Amino acid sequence: MVTRRGFLKGGGLALLGVGMMGGIPGFLAEAAARERIVSPYKKRKVLVCIFQRGAMDGLMAVTPFTDANLQAARPTLFISAAKGGNDNPLIDLDGRFGLHPSMKAFEPLFRDGRLAIVHGIGSPNNTRSHFDAQDYMESGTPFNKGTASGWLNRAVGLLGHDSLTPFTAVSLTSALPRSFYGDNATVAISNLQDFAIQMRGNPMAAGKVASSFEDLYDQTTPGLLKETGKESFEAIKMLQKADIRNYRPDNNAVYPNSPLGNSLKQIAQLIKMDVGLEIAFTESNGWDTHFNQGAANGIFARNVTDLSNSITAFWTDLSAWQDDVTVMTMTEFGRTVHQNGTGGTDHGRASCNFILGKDVNGGRVHGSVDTLVIENLEDRRDLKVTTDFRCVFSEVADRHLQLGNDKALFPDWNGTHIGVMNPQS
Amino acid sequence: MNAHFLRQTLPILGGFILLSSFWGEKKPHRMPYREAGLTEHQAAAHLLSRLTYGATPGQVDEVARMGLEKWLEQQLKADLPEDSLEMQLAPFDALKLSNEQIVATYPKNGQVIRMAVRDGFIDKDSVKADRKAYRDIIRDYMDKKGFKPENELFRQLYCQKILRAAYAQNQLREVMTDFWFNHFNVSVTKNDCAQFIPVYERDVIRPGALGRFGDLLKATAGSPAMLYYLDNFSSSGPADEMRPMRVARKAQGLNENYARELMELHTLGVDGGYTQQDVTQAARVLTGWTVREGEYFFAPNRHDKGEKVVLGKKFGPDGGEAEGLELLDMLAHHPSTARFICRKIAVRFVNDDPPSTLVDRMAKTFTDKKGDIRQVLLTMVYSPEFWSPQAIREKTKSPFELAIGAVRSLHARIAQPMPLYNWITRMGEKMYCYQAPTGFPDKGQYWINTGSLLSRMNFGLALATGRIRGLSFDLAALNNNHEPESAQAALVTYCHLIMPERDLEPTIKRLTPMLTDPRLPEKINAADSQQANAAGGETAAMVAPLSAASLTQVVGVIIGSPEFQRR
Repeated sequence: MVTRRGFLKGGGLALLGVGMMGGIPGFLAEAAARERIVSPYKKRKVLVCIFQRGAMDGLMAVTPFTDANLQAARPTLFISAAKGGNDNPLIDLDGRFGLHPSMKAFEPLFRDGRLAIVHGIGSPNNTRSHFDAQDYMESGTPFNKGTASGWLNRAVGLLGHDSLTPFTAVSLTSALPRSFYGDNATVAISNLQDFAIQMRGNPMAAGKVASSFEDLYDQTTPGLLKETGKESFEAIKMLQKADIRNYRPDNNAVYPNSPLGNSLKQIAQLIKMDVGLEIAFTESNGWDTHFNQGAANGIFARNVTDLSNSITAFWTDLSAWQDDVTVMTMTEFGRTVHQNGTGGTDHGRASCNFILGKDVNGGRVHGSVDTLVIENLEDRRDLKVTTDFRCVFSEVADRHLQLGNDKALFPDWNGTHIGVMNPQS
Repeated sequence: MNAHFLRQTLPILGGFILLSSFWGEKKPHRMPYREAGLTEHQAAAHLLSRLTYGATPGQVDEVARMGLEKWLEQQLKADLPEDSLEMQLAPFDALKLSNEQIVATYPKNGQVIRMAVRDGFIDKDSVKADRKAYRDIIRDYMDKKGFKPENELFRQLYCQKILRAAYAQNQLREVMTDFWFNHFNVSVTKNDCAQFIPVYERDVIRPGALGRFGDLLKATAGSPAMLYYLDNFSSSGPADEMRPMRVARKAQGLNENYARELMELHTLGVDGGYTQQDVTQAARVLTGWTVREGEYFFAPNRHDKGEKVVLGKKFGPDGGEAEGLELLDMLAHHPSTARFICRKIAVRFVNDDPPSTLVDRMAKTFTDKKGDIRQVLLTMVYSPEFWSPQAIREKTKSPFELAIGAVRSLHARIAQPMPLYNWITRMGEKMYCYQAPTGFPDKGQYWINTGSLLSRMNFGLALATGRIRGLSFDLAALNNNHEPESAQAALVTYCHLIMPERDLEPTIKRLTPMLTDPRLPEKINAADSQQANAAGGETAAMVAPLSAASLTQVVGVIIGSPEFQRR
């Protein structure tokens, strides 16, 4: 099997590496790099995944507002869709489900058929531990803790070609997420600007020092540090071409000044830079709302404002790339149907997620949500999981990235897709 | 105050504990490092790399001279004087306050606004007024009331951790404080618990870090930081018909969050053999454990008085506060807990996947000695697995360990810790801010990725070239003001000073080209291959004089090198 590194060492970046060490002029190396690395990636599809850590209350994000049981279970958390006398009603999507008023940025995308919602999505494993549920969702094997790889890492392996650049799969996080664990090369970047060897005001020393580092990591004993070091230097060389600092989003898109907004902005930059990005990951925190989660205002409202405004800004910024980009959110589980004694909700089962893109069968709420009478609840307390997350993840990834092998993506899964994506034209 | 039971159960530290009693019947004479083929100096370097935040210059020799066993005994006693550290910590006034004083001095930003509104300083509707004017009013108000900004409290918290790790004589206690804080994680990102974290670390974690696990568990359970972080402060039993609802109007109802993490993360481990039912029942046992006026308080009227069954054991009815303590004791002494805790300690000190023989041996000690953490550490260090090739240099430093290790190995002075804090954050470890109750994962794979690795290299360069504010060191003094004879000699000298007792030949060989004129790549190559072939050849590097600039660059590359990332 030709590995990515094997290919690189025979091709563009090998030349570049020599260029830094010895006599080959930079322009020549750069030309070589452009020839071999950048051009084949012009028309790649990109899947962007956003993990909402802490378990989003799906019933508050997308509320089955006609269900009187929900209103009764949530005396202070329920938001009505009725417009009269209510200054901040739900956004009525289809007469049954209402979008939280703070997600108004999503409404046009939904009406336009770009945005789909899956409700009742979750894991077949009924753990209510954040750690386990995230672990299972990210490994993609809900009954096997020992799975070494993450599902997005396996997706990299199923792209059908060697991942020739260090930016095939990028996580905009300071550490590698579980979804990215595994043998295929992935990279975590918290800030694109930091991605260089920095010797302020002394570029010559920087070059010398960089080659010393590169050499040291190349020669160290095989393992984590050696492998990662190699990837770091390959990545630096690719990023050197863009003016990251002075980035201006297109179409006057305004990203929220939040961790999620900043991450999506950098993913947009990578997409526009044509560095070969195909799978991107980032996360959003603060969804574990046990206490005073608020209704139309408050913690939850602020979280969904950030989520919807960040994704919408990203979409606006990438208007010229929309054919090639799909965004999908995920969260480890949902929250209890009943509010708890502290103005919040506890760990539950099913939640909902959002999928945005031109291949998406949007403008509708997929999945199924039963009437919330106690007999219909899982363990008599939680929204029942009616759609296995693997069913949705595999359909989105297969269809958008054309992986064609969801057996390998989710080894223990045998279900069928539910049509959240449009059939291939 | 109702926190007395916690105080009483806290371990008595310092000289009261007779180390000799540790060794008990069959005292092991020495650590089994020779069997692993290590010299005393190599063993000292390994021991220091695991039980401290890194050897200071000369410390390997010192420990070898003293005897590794004696040094460990001293560290377990943790009673070395800390006068100079205390002097450095003296300006941090918030560190001496009680929770109550902190609440009164460092109110949360939201509280300040509410109070300012109440006191008529700002109008409720002017909250959205011009920002600067608004900020000025708030600042004015805070000055008048003697309030200080919340961020100042956290700044002091971050600074003290850096200074203690860098300069404490009782290094093992600091390492274990970090370990247990991470185990019983709470987070500054959770607003409600944030202001209680300085006292949590000072009065709960550090004093208990080398005590008994059960005491530490109980102390964390009753700490405001944990009670807020995992919401137990708000958890209560079912509404009592006898009691008017208005009494309990605020927080009424069961909250399972603490009970679940107590079993999953603090004691039994996720595969420790408990069910959702056990979690709910344990949560009921712990109702009424709450916070009043900044301190732990057991509220009988919030406690669920019914009967509960956890892991087959009956609690109540009417067990009150005592049944919670009973539950915690039961969990602390459970066999699953012994294995779970000991494995985690072994991961921290031995390698990311410690052998089960070692974990079993430690767990046996844990059980036999009733959760005595010092005994568990002794068993670990006196085990062959601790010294095996699978352990030596196998751990990857966390960003904090890297930063503090660099400071210690250069004997650097920290006048201002915050720039260092910012670097640690950049390298992927935002101290006190890991949001999940899991704490930071303790494995190399979590810390090392393409981005964070580059930050580590840049950290080395920034540190060595004097670009980290508030940090200074003297490279010449490090070598007793002996000027190395040549660039090559300097390279060798400083590599060994910074990374004692390691095989540095490959590193030195790779760094040699840095010392030479960058315009002469042919010479570099020649030097490189000549050195690879024969040790004796005179090369450009060996005769070149060393400039201060290239020495600092060399030091920077050493700190960013793969070898320095290992411990």
